Amino acid sequence: MLQAESLTKTFGPRVAVDRLSFDVHAGEIFALVGPNGAGKTTTLRMLAGLISPSSGAVRFNGQPTAGAESALRSSIGFLTEAPGLWDRLTVRENLRVHARLHGLPRPDRAVDSALDLFGISNRAAEPTAVLSKGLRQRVALARTLLHDPGAVLLDEPTSGLDPESARDVRELVTRLRHERRAVLISTHNLDEVERLADRVAVLNTSLVALDTPQSLRARAFGARLRIRFAGPAMARADILRHMGFADLHVEGNTISLAAAAGTPRTPDVVRRLVESGAEIEAIEPEEPSLEQVYLRLMKGGRP
Amino acid sequence: MNWARIAALLGKELADLRGRPGLFFPALFTGLIATLMPVFIAVLVPAFTGERLSDSSDFQIATELFQRESWARALDPEAAIQAWLFQQFLVLLVLSPVAASMSIAAHSVIGEKQARTLEPILATPITTFELLVAKILGALVPALALSFACFAVYVGAAALLARAGVAWTLLLPRPLAVLFVMGPMASLTSLTLAVCVSSRVNDTRSAQQLAVLVVLPITGLLVAQMAAGFVVTIPVILLITSVMAAINIGLIRLGVSLFDRETILTRWK
Repeated sequence: MLQAESLTKTFGPRVAVDRLSFDVHAGEIFALVGPNGAGKTTTLRMLAGLISPSSGAVRFNGQPTAGAESALRSSIGFLTEAPGLWDRLTVRENLRVHARLHGLPRPDRAVDSALDLFGISNRAAEPTAVLSKGLRQRVALARTLLHDPGAVLLDEPTSGLDPESARDVRELVTRLRHERRAVLISTHNLDEVERLADRVAVLNTSLVALDTPQSLRARAFGARLRIRFAGPAMARADILRHMGFADLHVEGNTISLAAAAGTPRTPDVVRRLVESGAEIEAIEPEEPSLEQVYLRLMKGGRP
Repeated sequence: MNWARIAALLGKELADLRGRPGLFFPALFTGLIATLMPVFIAVLVPAFTGERLSDSSDFQIATELFQRESWARALDPEAAIQAWLFQQFLVLLVLSPVAASMSIAAHSVIGEKQARTLEPILATPITTFELLVAKILGALVPALALSFACFAVYVGAAALLARAGVAWTLLLPRPLAVLFVMGPMASLTSLTLAVCVSSRVNDTRSAQQLAVLVVLPITGLLVAQMAAGFVVTIPVILLITSVMAAINIGLIRLGVSLFDRETILTRWK
């Protein structure tokens, strides 16, 4: 639905985004992660038609958007990093202005629907200045979806929110997937990515990696096993090394090891360890957190 | 150009102004000064000193100028001088909407950026031209409303305090043209400049300082009238208005070309 084709953006001599390509499908939540200054917001702004790429192209539903940015902005909902609400205006007034800016035929009806959908009808007459941060974000999300966009770009949607508000926002984002919208979410919150994203792009000016969270784990760390013994694990490490396992980490009663191709199968490992007198309490595939994957990728680990 | 989008943003501008009455203080102040000045000079000073204006040689030129006009011959010399003074200070009244529009317009784009509300606006289909027109009208509409209200008070003050017939001279085509044609056009020029500057600099003070330059020609006009007995006739008003209209068209075009979304979004903090 929404495609970035070799997007590049330079500001003077500084390259903010370098030949970035990906696509976001309908019904997919696609996460863009990366350190500060990696070019995430710049990418979102290019995709939203706010700034022009220095080279490369944005396509929406297969059509290039260059020269038709106004039409693109009608089809995309962009939640900016700050809620960007007019404090002196009420919730309803804020939404109504945006409904009219989008040229909706029945702005009041659209606003009423959005207020209902986001559960903020009871606050509609209040100035946004008095709302909590979580509610402001909710209003901003309602504004983003007022014109029923097919693609939604969310820049740090849960940044600075308390856990409950963040959970509410995540539920709303999940709802967007069910509504078959293409959702691109830029975030630092890897836990959030873990919970929400179907695919992840790690960005550091250029694309570092792009895949599902599961595949990124496998690609960054390979398959790993974690074995927990009844006693100290150190004595068993040599047996495992002799069996051909590398990259062993011993910690107390636990050994973590890389189960690369060519190493013995798990039942053979268990048999050998038991034969050596080891008492195994548990053996399970080790799943690194997305944060570990991210940090390894940022340090130049294998993508 | 989509007028519905302009109307949407204009509506927001006007709603937003409800909560910022302080923005109108400069306009109210200049409007008050413009109203009090002729009352003070033409009515209060003669009343307290016991000297008639028509006895002073300072106003001889005014009497002569004013009595050249056929409609003014019905006035006695004292009323003629009062009418002349009230008409001269009308140009000062024109400055009040300029003062009002200046602070509103100077705050327009920068204010949105500082409140971080500009990016969501730019994420809608609105064009730069529509955005600037809405911003300009958002400053012009309240300023003109204020200006016309000040004019009503001005005429009322002349009717109550000046000699018979003086207030009526303020409703003749020339003063009305000053207020309803030249005044709005001067306001428009001022705030178009302020909005353009507002979209290029990143603090309101710079915008206001640069845009206030437009007040200078109008002030010069007032000085010329007072010092040289120069009368702003309808053709002169129309000429000034035409020049300002041409300047406005150029300024809006310049504003659109200078409005750099990228710089505003990425460089302003």
